[in-house]
Amino acid sequence: MSQLQGFGGFQFDLLERNEKLKEKGYQVPTARKTGTTIVGVVFQDGVVLGADTRATSDTTVFDKNCEKIHYIAPNIYCCGAGTAADTENTTALISSQLKLHRLNSGRESRVTTALTLLKRMLFRYQGYVSAALVLGGVDFYGPHLYTVYPHGSTDRLPFVTMGSGSLAAMSVFESKYKDDMSRAEAEQLVYEAISAGIFNDLGSGGNVDLCVITRGHTEYMRGYAKENERLFRKPQGYSFPVGTTSILSSIFEKSLAHTPSVTDPESSFSMAVD
Amino acid sequence: MIKLDVFQPTFGLDKEEENVVVPKEELYCSTPLAPSLRWNVLSNNAPKDLTKFHHGTTTLSFVFSEGIVAAVDSRASMGQYIGSGSVKKVIEINKYLLGTMAGGAADCTFWERYLGMRCRLFELKNKERISVAAASKILCNTVYQYKGMGLSMGTMIMGWDKKGPHIYYVDSEGTRLKGQKFSVGSGSTHALGVLDQGYQWNMSVEEACELGRRSIYHATHRDAFSGGYINVYYIGPDGWKFISHEDSGFDKHYQYATEKATQQQQQMSIS
Amino acid sequence: MYNKQHLDPHDDTSAQRPDFMPYQNNGGTVVAMGGEDYCIVAATTRLGLGFAIPTRNVCRYAILNDRVVLATAGMYADTVALHKVVTARVKVYQQQQEKPFGLFSAAQLLSNTLYYRRFFPYYTFNVLGGLDQDGQGFVYGFDAIGSGEKVKVVCNGTAQALIQPILDNQVEKKQQYENKQIEKWSLQEALDLVKDVFTSAGERDIYTGDAVDICTVTKQRGVVVETFPLKKD
Repeated sequence: MSQLQGFGGFQFDLLERNEKLKEKGYQVPTARKTGTTIVGVVFQDGVVLGADTRATSDTTVFDKNCEKIHYIAPNIYCCGAGTAADTENTTALISSQLKLHRLNSGRESRVTTALTLLKRMLFRYQGYVSAALVLGGVDFYGPHLYTVYPHGSTDRLPFVTMGSGSLAAMSVFESKYKDDMSRAEAEQLVYEAISAGIFNDLGSGGNVDLCVITRGHTEYMRGYAKENERLFRKPQGYSFPVGTTSILSSIFEKSLAHTPSVTDPESSFSMAVD
Repeated sequence: MIKLDVFQPTFGLDKEEENVVVPKEELYCSTPLAPSLRWNVLSNNAPKDLTKFHHGTTTLSFVFSEGIVAAVDSRASMGQYIGSGSVKKVIEINKYLLGTMAGGAADCTFWERYLGMRCRLFELKNKERISVAAASKILCNTVYQYKGMGLSMGTMIMGWDKKGPHIYYVDSEGTRLKGQKFSVGSGSTHALGVLDQGYQWNMSVEEACELGRRSIYHATHRDAFSGGYINVYYIGPDGWKFISHEDSGFDKHYQYATEKATQQQQQMSIS
Repeated sequence: MYNKQHLDPHDDTSAQRPDFMPYQNNGGTVVAMGGEDYCIVAATTRLGLGFAIPTRNVCRYAILNDRVVLATAGMYADTVALHKVVTARVKVYQQQQEKPFGLFSAAQLLSNTLYYRRFFPYYTFNVLGGLDQDGQGFVYGFDAIGSGEKVKVVCNGTAQALIQPILDNQVEKKQQYENKQIEKWSLQEALDLVKDVFTSAGERDIYTGDAVDICTVTKQRGVVVETFPLKKD
């Protein structure tokens, strides 16, 4: 068990115990899923990736503004749907491997390399790493757009959607997609597709995030559209008179303000020692 | 005859309805009848929130020289969620009979209301009040018909009849026991610990009520599924009397804590 | 809905019979609050089914008469069936007796109607609100099988666990140990509170959204319904 530590990868030594607990009727903690709409489209000189920003756990919204478009390389980004922890860590792992590869080779990463690394990893874990991805980027060979399914299969298409809102988003793509769109057209199309997911799929919601990748340039537009701001607040707000919570006892201690502090050499801010 | 079946309401089309003597509002609102036995879907694959209705309780009652004291908490849980903190768990069946509520809230209220109707019918037929034994047996026999179908109730039927004060424990399994001292619900073990320790046959009504109250308080303190308010009732020869309704939380805790502290101080100063 | 993998006409042992799944959850949240001379009963209008929104504008309330309103969350088919039964019985009563159906009677009627289906319940979570003879507002909350309670303020449905604690804290001053004097809420303040809790629940519960129908019951104006918009995502 513990000798596995240091070799990387997953540890499975609690699996058997957890199965036993499940048999005995203990509740297994639920993972945070990104019931999601993620899309991508290829246009004249690049790709546009889009995502909503809602993360849910069962019927509760866990995060109203999470980031679902993950960085892979300066010229490659990847949208994630499925279990939040799986998508985030999978993309971060591949991102790290690509960075090492770039440092070794001194060349720009290629989208197909990221794709191969991702599908190898997901296939190895037989779908138990539940990450459904939209991978997009521009490299030496031009713009590329792929989907990666949790079991490791992949597609290469001009427009793709993933997640619980994929059907709503795909209906927009199917009716409005054209080859060789301009950047503005592509952005508008992706925005409409994500909006379709946000408004028609209960697992998706919040804002529209966009990421436009062209040769030598990437623009990440967090909060491209914010159409779900809170509509109402009680005018008087909520106030509680002083003393609402009774004080049972008080202890006064000397302030920690005089504790010696360490200065961060790279900035002028000083940090207090914990 | 007046038809009271809600599944086939006559809606006034029945000619015999013209001779109605019972006020109509009562006809529509206060006639509990047996629910349909046709299906029991609940046990198999019903949604979770449907089967997780109000549960969890501490109730107790005991006989002593002056009569009966009943004390209950007021919390209703639905799984981890507190469905209500202000449930009336002592059900007033009539002037001389009380019932307590543990298990399914709807089951208890419905069938004890039904029991109230049956007791009234008994009075009209026999020109005398029903005994506690007979009343509890009506309830017991009624729920026994539904045995195995998922009814959930643990109740104490209490009252003062010709032969004095009586308590019967009746539950949805069909158990019916006569006894001097009962506690029912998830917090019953905690309550009984305090009750047994402080119980004496010869107590004043005030002492008995305080013992009941204290027992419920300690149960609410330790049992997560009990809490809210403590309601206390006393039953004497003239029927039941509502005694008190107090918050079991913050104030009660510090009241008992200060009492305990002063007692300890006194003992210290004596020794 | 029948689960096909269990369908075998030659096997009639109970364990192998097809699963009978008569229930679905359509979500929804209902709130009721009673005041000195008014009562508010509110219900969301989104009908959810899994991750889909079949429609954004359903009616989850039933006006029983000019002083009693019933609102129901849970399965929509059962909601419609229940409302039909209760409204019919109230109407028939009022036609025969030539007097309005009282709030307490309505609560008892609803309780019995729900309990008659004890072994095949309506998958509904009800709140009932209205005015008593003196014009004072009261509300009742029920579980699926008819256990009900008269309260000041109540919430039922998918956002119950989000909303009820706020209502308890604000209206009943729960957890405010040194601030126990109960204020009287004016109708406008109460409406603002109800709108605010629905807006907040809409932020975090996926089955609460689109709009909320707010029924205001007063002696002067009877039942007035206002539709208040919520987020549509």
